[in-house]
Formats: sequence, C-alpha cells, structure tokens
Amino acid sequence: MPGESPSSRFWYWLRVAAVGRRPKRTLARLAVLVAASAVLFKFALVPIRVTGISMEPAFHDNAVNFINRLAYVRGQPQRGDVVGLRLSTNADATFHVLLLKRLVGLPGETISFSGGHLRVNGKPLEEPYLKLHSNWNVPEKTLGPDDYYFVGDNRSMPPQQHKHGVATRSQIVGRVLWKGNQ
Amino acid sequence: MKRIARLILAAGLIALAVWSWGFFFPAPKKIIENHLLKLARVASFSSQDGNFKRLSDNERIGSLLARNLHVVLDLPGGRNETFDNREDLLQAVMAARPVVKDLQTQFTDITVSLSPDRQSAVAMLTVKAKMGGEPDWIIEELRFTFKKIGGDWLITGLETVQPLR
Repeated sequence: MPGESPSSRFWYWLRVAAVGRRPKRTLARLAVLVAASAVLFKFALVPIRVTGISMEPAFHDNAVNFINRLAYVRGQPQRGDVVGLRLSTNADATFHVLLLKRLVGLPGETISFSGGHLRVNGKPLEEPYLKLHSNWNVPEKTLGPDDYYFVGDNRSMPPQQHKHGVATRSQIVGRVLWKGNQ
Repeated sequence: MKRIARLILAAGLIALAVWSWGFFFPAPKKIIENHLLKLARVASFSSQDGNFKRLSDNERIGSLLARNLHVVLDLPGGRNETFDNREDLLQAVMAARPVVKDLQTQFTDITVSLSPDRQSAVAMLTVKAKMGGEPDWIIEELRFTFKKIGGDWLITGLETVQPLR
C-alpha cells in the first residue's frame, strides 16, 4: 500500500498470523476451544501412552491411545473389550496410571487357563486376538456379581509375571478408543 | 475505585490468613501426604551419592517409621519380602543400594483416610519405580498404615495391594 513501509507491512501480517484480523473473535474462539478441550479430556477421553508389552501385539509399547470414559454409560462391559483399569478399588481416587487389559470373564462365570487356553465355565473359549504362544495353567476362579476377569494378550511369560485377575466394575475407567492391531 | 481496592485487599488478606493457617497448622491428611512425598524423595538414590548422603537418607527414612512396623512387599519376579521392625527394614535398604545402584521413586494418586478417632490413618497410593539400567517403570499399588505416636504420624504398616485379585 502507498505510504507503508515494508517493515510496517511485515509487522501487520505477523500480527494477523498470530491473532487474526479480529483479535477479539480469535480470543473468543480460543476460549471456546480451551473450554471444550477441558470438558472433553476431563469427562470423556483419557489420553494414554502404553507402557510395557503385556498387550502385544495389539498394543505396542509407547503407543498412544485414548480411554473412552463414556463407553459404558448406556451399556455393560463385554467380553473381548480392552479397557483401562484403575489400580485402586476406590472409585473416587485420582489416577495417573491405568492398567490396559482385555476383559475375558463376566460376572458369575468361572475362569481358568489350561495348557495356555482360556476356559469359561469349564469350556475352552476361542481368542482370535492371541498371537503369541502360551502354556498357562491357572486354577479356576469364580466371579462374583460385580467381578470381571482381565488379562493381557501377551501370555508368553509365566502367569506370575503378568498382571491378571479379578477386578470390580468400579475399577473400569472406560474402553480403549482405537482398537489396535487385532 | 477505593472501595474495590479495599475489597481486593481484604480478599487478599483473608486468602493469606487461610493459607497461613494451612501452612502452620496443616491437617493430618496433609501431614501424611507430605511424609509420603518426603519418603519417595529420600527413597530415590543415585550411584553417585556419597556415604554421607546415604546415611542421611537412611536416617530420614527411619524418622518416618515406627519402631514396630509390619511390611509385606511383593517384588518383581514373584518374590515377596517381610519385615517386622524398623531396623531390619533400614538394614535391607542399605544393603540394597550397592546392588540396585540407581533408583527413582515417585508416589502418585495418594488417598488418605483418617480413622474416626483421628489417631490412625490408611494411605493408598501408586508407586512408580525405575532401577538404573532398566527401561521400564515398575508400577505397584501400596497401602500404608499410619499411627499418631508422640504427636507425629509414623508408618506402622506397608503392604503391596494387587489391583487384580
């Protein structure tokens, strides 16, 4: 524009790039974005980074995912779901660490492992997501009315070195959003 | 304008008073939480620590423990260790240092529950520990039992809690 120096034009466009042509509108949009993100990540989605190999090959070490806290608002956890579990049985406790495990046993069922195969109520159950060999033998456990059985997909290590077992419904934070390599 | 300034000043003074009360007369839950955070700090060590620091840290750990305490810990590999008094535990900690070399310890998600008589408490927390050379963090849930002894909150019990039974 006539009368404007290159320097002032530069600062003008720098300001436009930073805050837009209408700074008040930009600020309002930013406020809405921050508020929406706060609500979304506080109440709906929990970002997680997977640590460890217990859910290989479906979920790799250092993979990023989300736990959907609203997944069971209108439904119950189903067998095969991969869920985030809080370590504490206190439903009001905060959590910075979750266990990522697959749900294999429902309330009232009897769960055991024999020769590496999962058995539900004494009958073997096909697990198509299992890719690694296992030779686990774990005695039967009968689940209570509020109990679920959780185990990782990578059962190539002895069962004593793998966190698996019974947790209550209140420990389930939500279901994993992206289902990984299943 | 003067009224607004006075209101702001009054609000600031009230906030300062509330904060000061909390700082000089902390609630039992806050005291216990601070003890646990201190324990995590002194339980962390590096191979470059000198003998003086090691002894000093051990003494500080000891100051948080009751003489008679009961500890049951599930260790990696399926082992578990039990201690029935403070001295045995502190000796084990000193003996572990040359073997472990480096240890980072963090306590998170601390939840403290006071008993109705406010003389004992239970604290649940998640511990993240990383030993030197290991790529992965060890994560466990711990349950601490505290008792008010001689006016101070001391640890009388510690056990690993399995999140999956």
